Amino acid sequence: MKETSNVQRPMLNTEPAAYPTLGVGRSSNIVRFLWRTLGLVVAAIFIFAGLTKILDLDHLIADLQQLQFANALADLRNVSLAKPGEFARDIDNFKILPWPVSVALAFYVPWLEIFCALGLVFRFLYRGALSILSASIVVFTLAIIAAKVRGLDITCGCFGHASQHWSFPSHLATNLTILVALVALLFKATSEIRRQIPFNSR
Amino acid sequence: MKSSILRQAVILALFALLPAAGEAIYFRDKISWRSAIAPSEMVTVEQARGLGDTVIWVDARPDEEFASDHVPGAILLNEDRWNELLPQFLAVWSPGKKVVVYCSSLSCNASREVVRRLRKEAQLSDVFVLEGGWEAWLKKNR
Repeated sequence: MKETSNVQRPMLNTEPAAYPTLGVGRSSNIVRFLWRTLGLVVAAIFIFAGLTKILDLDHLIADLQQLQFANALADLRNVSLAKPGEFARDIDNFKILPWPVSVALAFYVPWLEIFCALGLVFRFLYRGALSILSASIVVFTLAIIAAKVRGLDITCGCFGHASQHWSFPSHLATNLTILVALVALLFKATSEIRRQIPFNSR
Repeated sequence: MKSSILRQAVILALFALLPAAGEAIYFRDKISWRSAIAPSEMVTVEQARGLGDTVIWVDARPDEEFASDHVPGAILLNEDRWNELLPQFLAVWSPGKKVVVYCSSLSCNASREVVRRLRKEAQLSDVFVLEGGWEAWLKKNR
């Protein structure tokens, strides 16, 4: 009679931290807290990036930048949908894609960013979300570098029109910082799963 | 493990399609999928002629093409010498004037870029792209 394995196959869609952790004690809790915080900060960045493309938050962001919180609260009540063509034009300005593709991406990318960020917050489809966000930030960064090399005067639209006056080094530094955080989170999640899933179940 | 990441990524990508499709349907009349310029921002040769004396013709083609021939009374404003030519255009422009920008043909992009920059940088609103460009104007005037 063939012997069946007692090893239960884990649910791969759940978060790595849902498995019993190997480390114990205060220091491991602090480390886990720091990783969780990093994940939430990255998620917040992408939720903000997605929302600035879907909603017209220009006035709100301007008031927040000038620390005018009362006005910002008033702006919150008057938030409307962003003009659909603005982000499409930002993408089109890179002169890489045809206009219909720019329009399709203008509708799709913000939602992809938000869904992936929510994946990070709720630890649902966690590594898939991290890999999509990492790939997308690599693509954005390459597009910005290509535009710079070709001498194009572009507004990246990364954070709606809040980022329209960013210099090239600021763009690059921000993107690379986010990429490093994403890759670190992905490695951490993958290494935890490798430790916790028995070898023959991978 | 790699297939698990890929599966998760595909599921997320499909989830994001739903609201994106909804938004695209909601905005179907607000954005053109064929051109970066909305249909309301384009004029035909006949419509431009109908504007009479209120129209300022702007030639967005390169200097040499403008020099060889252009719409009578047109002002040169191309992206190659934008900073130099923009003040010359603004000296001619006045409130109430409608600006019609053209480039070589239907497929050229220069007029769209000039219209976009005039709207964004000079904050002008009555700026239009001539549908079909210089080729269309020639056809109607021969």
